Order: sequence, then C-alpha cells, then structure tokens
Amino acid sequence: MLLASMQGVRFGYGDVPCLDDADLAIYAGEFVAVTGPNGAAKTTLLKLLLGLLQPWKGEVRLASRNAEGAKLGIGYVPQQIAAFNGGFPSTVLEFVRSGRFARGSWLRQLRPDDHRQTEQALRQMGMWELRHRRIGELSGGQKQRVCIARALAQTPDLLVLDEPTTGMDQESRLGFYDLMRHQVKDRGRTVIMVTHGLSEAEDYLDRTVTLERKEGGGWKCCTTTSCSGHFSPAG
Amino acid sequence: MLHYDFMQRAFFTGGLIALLASVLGVYLMLRRQALMADMLSHVSLAGVAAGAYLHLNPTLTGFAVAVLGAIVVEYVRRFYKTYSDIAVAIVMVGGLSTAVILMSLNQGINKSFSSYLFGSVVAVNRTEMMLMILVAAVGGLFFTIFRRPLYQIAFDEDTAKASGLPVRPISLCFSILTGMIVAAAMPIVGVLLVSSLMVLPAALAIRIASSFAAALLLSMTFGLVGVFSGLTASYEWSTPPGGTIAFVLLVLWAGGIGVRKAWRKLGKRRPHSRPEAQTPVSSPIPRLAEERSEL
Repeated sequence: MLLASMQGVRFGYGDVPCLDDADLAIYAGEFVAVTGPNGAAKTTLLKLLLGLLQPWKGEVRLASRNAEGAKLGIGYVPQQIAAFNGGFPSTVLEFVRSGRFARGSWLRQLRPDDHRQTEQALRQMGMWELRHRRIGELSGGQKQRVCIARALAQTPDLLVLDEPTTGMDQESRLGFYDLMRHQVKDRGRTVIMVTHGLSEAEDYLDRTVTLERKEGGGWKCCTTTSCSGHFSPAG
Repeated sequence: MLHYDFMQRAFFTGGLIALLASVLGVYLMLRRQALMADMLSHVSLAGVAAGAYLHLNPTLTGFAVAVLGAIVVEYVRRFYKTYSDIAVAIVMVGGLSTAVILMSLNQGINKSFSSYLFGSVVAVNRTEMMLMILVAAVGGLFFTIFRRPLYQIAFDEDTAKASGLPVRPISLCFSILTGMIVAAAMPIVGVLLVSSLMVLPAALAIRIASSFAAALLLSMTFGLVGVFSGLTASYEWSTPPGGTIAFVLLVLWAGGIGVRKAWRKLGKRRPHSRPEAQTPVSSPIPRLAEERSEL
C-alpha cells in the first residue's frame, strides 16, 4: 500500500529552491532512512510529506486511512524538539500519556489500554523509572527518548522521526534501531527516519533515501541501489 | 468592606477573571505569547477610544476591538511563525497609535480614560459584570473541552498538526478567547496592567509545579490570592486596584521564586537527599529480546 508520495515537487525558502523535481514513494511496512549532508533539505522533505509545508509546485500525497480503513495515525518527532521545549511543566508520564489523546474524542476518560500503551512506550524507551520526573530535569538524550515514547504511545501507523538518536549513547542507539525494526516487522508500522548514523542503522533498514548535491546545484535523491540524475522514485 | 455592592461585584468578577486569566496565562507562556495579553489590552484601548468618540458603550467597543485584534494577530503570526512576538509588536503598534489619535480627537473624554488605564473597583457596573460572567462561561467551557488539544499545541504545533489536530481553528479560537478575557478584565485591572493577571501567576506556577495539572491549579490559586489581596489592599489604602493587584502578584512571584531557591539550597545541604535528584539516570533502550520478556 502506498502511504506517502511526492511527484515533481519544488520547494524552497525565500526565492531559492532547495528541492526541485522531487519524486518519492513510501510504502506501508517499510523502515526507510533519509540521509544526506547538512542543508540537504532532509527535514524539509519530511515536512512536505506530512503536509506541514506546501510545495511551490508538484504534488504530495499522504494516505488518510490505513490498510484497515481507519484514520491514519501519525507519530512525528521533529528535530531537537526536546531541547527546544525542555522547560515544559510536565512529568514524563503526563507527557507520554498525551500521545494517547490523538486516539478517540478529546473528552473521553483514558482507558486501561491507554495506560498500558503509555507504560509500554516508556519501558521500550528505558524511561519508566523516570516517569515521575519533570521533563526539564532530564538530559537532552533523555528528553529525546521521552518525545519518541510519546510518539510510540500513539500506536501510529506511520512514525516520522527527524534525527531521533541525537544525544543517545551507542547502546541506546542500537536498542532504538532494533525497536524500530520490531515496530515495522512485528507491528506492521512504517518508519521514516532522518539520520546521520547510517553505518550503524543500515542493518536494520529496508531502504535508504540519500540526498546528494546535483551537478550544477540543487539536490538529487538516491535509493540504496540506484541514483538517478533527479529525485528518483524510491523503491 | 463586603457589605458594599460595588465591592461584592469587584470580588465576584475579580475572582472569575483571576481563575480564567491564570489558566490562560499558562498556555500563553508555553506558546511564547506572554506579551499577547499586553498587546490586546492596548488594542482594546483603541476600541474604548472609538466607542467614546462615536458615543457607543466603550466597554463593548473595547471588547469587540480586542477580539478583532486577536484574530488579526493570529493571521500576522503565520508570517512570522518562529518569531510570534513580532506579530504581537506590529498589532500593538497599530492599536496604540489608533487609540492615541482617537483620544486626541476627543479631548473631553481623556479624564474617564484613567479608569480604563489603571482599573477601578467602582467601574464594574452591571453590564460589565454580565459580560464577565458570559466570558467566564465561554472560557470555562473552552478550557474544559480543549484541554487536551491545548496541551499538545502548547508543546509543539507541528507535532500536534501532524497527529491530525485542527491546530489553526483551535489556535484562532484561543486567540479570540484571549481577546475576550483581556477585554473583560480591563475594568478592574486596567489596560496597562491586565497582562500581570495572566503572566505573573503562570510564571510562578510553571517554575514550581511538579506537573502540568499542578501548574494550572497553582496558577489559579496564585491568581485568586493576588486579586483578592490586591482588592482588599486597594480598598484599605484607596489605591488603584490594577496597580495594587499587579504589585501583590509581583511580590507573590518574587516570594515564591525566593522560597523555591531557598528550598533547593536546603535540599542540597541535607545529607540524606536522594542522589538521583541531581543526576537522574535512565536505563539504556532495551534490546528486543529483553523487551519481549518484560511485556
């Protein structure tokens, strides 16, 4: 099932395009890494896919329903979100539990399943012991884990993670890639992750989308196996 | 003091506004819009001036213009997404300059402006009380229904939007409500100090609360204590209520921060203080095999 795609997309900041004629396709059940040097528009690519930015030209499509016909759940962890809002007056538990708000109406009482999913997400990210801490008291890496735990607690169909392993030690990074692999293979989720640590993660990935500088300016998009002159349809 | 009708009204409406403004303040601060209340109060002054100039009820025109200002700032904010205070500054300049021009065109009413600028206990008439009750009802309903989306939006708008929340409409309603609360609070606290009701209780609560729910409760408590103490002091010493309430809130904030600092210093000196209080340690992210055995 095609989950997200872009065709002939052109986008930039100010008058300067940073993506031009970009084609990309993400299928359900894939673990895809987006990589490339600083300034290669990796974050922009994610934001375009999520509809947070509107392309100047071209078409971006994101499925509104999952394979079962239910509303597509999306968990998004932006780049350095934890560092930006570290002083938020919330406990770790309260914050991760807010991931469950996306499910159901805004007024309904949280059910045992919501608490179970919250606990599971916190345990998976190794943060259960610190659940009563204020977010501001945690280190940058721990805050990052809490943000990922919130996205996991959403039990989303699509996880979009922008440099999620920032501030994590090597053991945790490997544990994290392992966990994402498990989310894809055993839970049927789709994971798109921007990363610079491709050498560490490549064993866990299905596919890599690499942004490389084009001759004569702009960026091109390559998959793990092919690299065309323009952004190639991935997969 | 409370056998006077006007003091009963002032305490009743002051209490309502204190509760609403304190909750609103927490969200405003977390959305980095602490100056929004200040801006809207200045904008609503233009409405008051326009009302006086056109011989309409200044309270109602001030209310309408505050709401309009809130809508305008919400749209201007989209052009300066990262620096939302620029939008605040732009709209404030617009509001204040209009107010000054309208006031200069109507020299005769300048004197009555002092009650709008600094607040007045006797200024709370029946119309204003009804307006405040209406705003309190709308605000109470809004914060109850939207408490979860507001929490998510306050943390990060992009993640809230990505998870499917209608961020723009909620944000617009939030801004409109802010305008309504600011306009309703003006008769008591005054234009110049209305933001103190929103900023100071929230600033202290955010600093000392152990959780988000506690931050809201503490902010409401500080707001109520500040308004009731300020009104009492204002009555006893015949000082303008706006300035007195703002001063009491400032003292409360400074005292609270001071007590917190002293408490933390004391905690560090204690020999039996928890070592993890300084250095919280998390376990590494468990590998798959470990996770499966646990869950």
